[in-house]
Amino acid sequence: MAEYRKVYGLGAEFDSAASLMSAAETVRDKKFTHWDVHTPFPVHGMDGAMGLGKSWLSAPVLIGGATGTLIAALLTFVPSWGIYPMIVNGKPFDWRVLPAFFPIFFELTILFAAFSTVFSLLIMNQLPKWYHPVFNWDQFKKATDDGFFMVIEARDPNFSESRTREFLESIGGKNVTLIHD
Amino acid sequence: MAHSWLFGFTYFFTICMGCLFWNCLHHATDSDWSVVVRRQLENIASLIPYFAIFFIPVLASAGVLYKWWSMDPASEPLLAAKQPYLSQPFFIARAIGYFVLAGWVAYSLKRRSISQDADGSAAHSLVMRKFGIGGIPVVAIAITFAAFDWLMGLDYKWFSTMWGVYLFAGAAGSSMSLLVLIVSALKRRGYLSVVNLEHYHTMGKFMLAFTIFWAYIGFSQYMLIWYANIPEETVYYQIRNTGSWWYLSTFLVVGRFFLPFPVLLLQFTKKKPKLLCAVAIWILFMQLVDVYVIVLPALHPSGIAISPFDLSSLLGIGGILGWLFFRNLKNSPLYPMRDPRLGASLKLTN
Repeated sequence: MAEYRKVYGLGAEFDSAASLMSAAETVRDKKFTHWDVHTPFPVHGMDGAMGLGKSWLSAPVLIGGATGTLIAALLTFVPSWGIYPMIVNGKPFDWRVLPAFFPIFFELTILFAAFSTVFSLLIMNQLPKWYHPVFNWDQFKKATDDGFFMVIEARDPNFSESRTREFLESIGGKNVTLIHD
Repeated sequence: MAHSWLFGFTYFFTICMGCLFWNCLHHATDSDWSVVVRRQLENIASLIPYFAIFFIPVLASAGVLYKWWSMDPASEPLLAAKQPYLSQPFFIARAIGYFVLAGWVAYSLKRRSISQDADGSAAHSLVMRKFGIGGIPVVAIAITFAAFDWLMGLDYKWFSTMWGVYLFAGAAGSSMSLLVLIVSALKRRGYLSVVNLEHYHTMGKFMLAFTIFWAYIGFSQYMLIWYANIPEETVYYQIRNTGSWWYLSTFLVVGRFFLPFPVLLLQFTKKKPKLLCAVAIWILFMQLVDVYVIVLPALHPSGIAISPFDLSSLLGIGGILGWLFFRNLKNSPLYPMRDPRLGASLKLTN
């Protein structure tokens, strides 16, 4: 029985990190949008070669940190000035007692910023993910050992099975394979 | 007058020691990024031996600056307990120790680095690494005990174990700011074109880190003393938080942390050399305010009293050091040309 599976994209293997990097620059300049590279180790400068730009991680971290400060302020001010005022160590009730609360501000700011960093990272990397179409490609096992791969997805507007295959071969890709979902 | 001199002396001493710290840190951690700016750190740190000369007036006026200097220890139990440490010969011996040790490390690092420009041998890097690793405890011990001797000793009754690291935090941040300014001035004149925006970004990150660290240490010192509320300890903040000193202390807290922190937090700032230079000037100015708030209340506990000697000692010591710096600047290449890691430094990416 013939299988009718959706095409995920075209994968190509490269000899080295350097050839993958120069190929990535070409793909970036051809205005492809849905594509990725896979290497056994982080390649310095690859984000620039892929044209990724600045990550938007800093915004959630700032929001998380500010939320932490606000919650710390509520946790300290509301009980000690509002619902349960108590004299501790002869310190007054007014704003001059603020230094005693600084460690709480500091800790909760860091805690919330760290949480938002971790969870934003998971969301940005689409993790956890139990299945990915590239695993259908036998050659791809080398990605954790000595293989340098590039995959251009079929949903890219510039994608065409024959022309993208020729293009990947022209920039140095080997074993260009059609990957099914 | 003696206090004004100590104010100018401390300001420049902390900055030069900070540069020695960054220089040692570079070698101890085998850094790539700082190779292109390292020669300027070496040039500033090599001014440390001259502080032995600037220290002579401090020593000559020790009787005015330090009450314990001429007191009979038997008359005061608090002083009698500190007698083994606060004695005149040991005070002088310690000061000589700081200048000799820190000066030796700074001088050796610079001499090796210049020899490497001539022969390009990687063996110099290995020797400098040993000096760097040994130099960090030297800087730590010298700056901690110098702060105890010369600044905490202004009131022999007062003590704070965070005092040394507080001075160090301000020193490291302001010396990184000075480095940014010197590098920018050289770049403006068309030199040091090897320094690019990535290096500015890294220097900006360290400025941010030590702005936070200064606030962390400064607040830790303040909060423990404030919360425990023990008279011998609170006297330091009591003087600085009453009368017109309160305005300067508050200005210090706001200006040294709350203003530069959000500005330096943005990546945008660290990649704009002009803006980073403006922040660097501000941090160097706030370090000045910091040292002023440390030293001068010992003379005028009732309120701020600005004396012309404050400015003249600052300009005098700063002028002599600046002249020595510019005289040394032209004697060696502006960056270590044959350092084995120069290539890696040029290709720095953040």
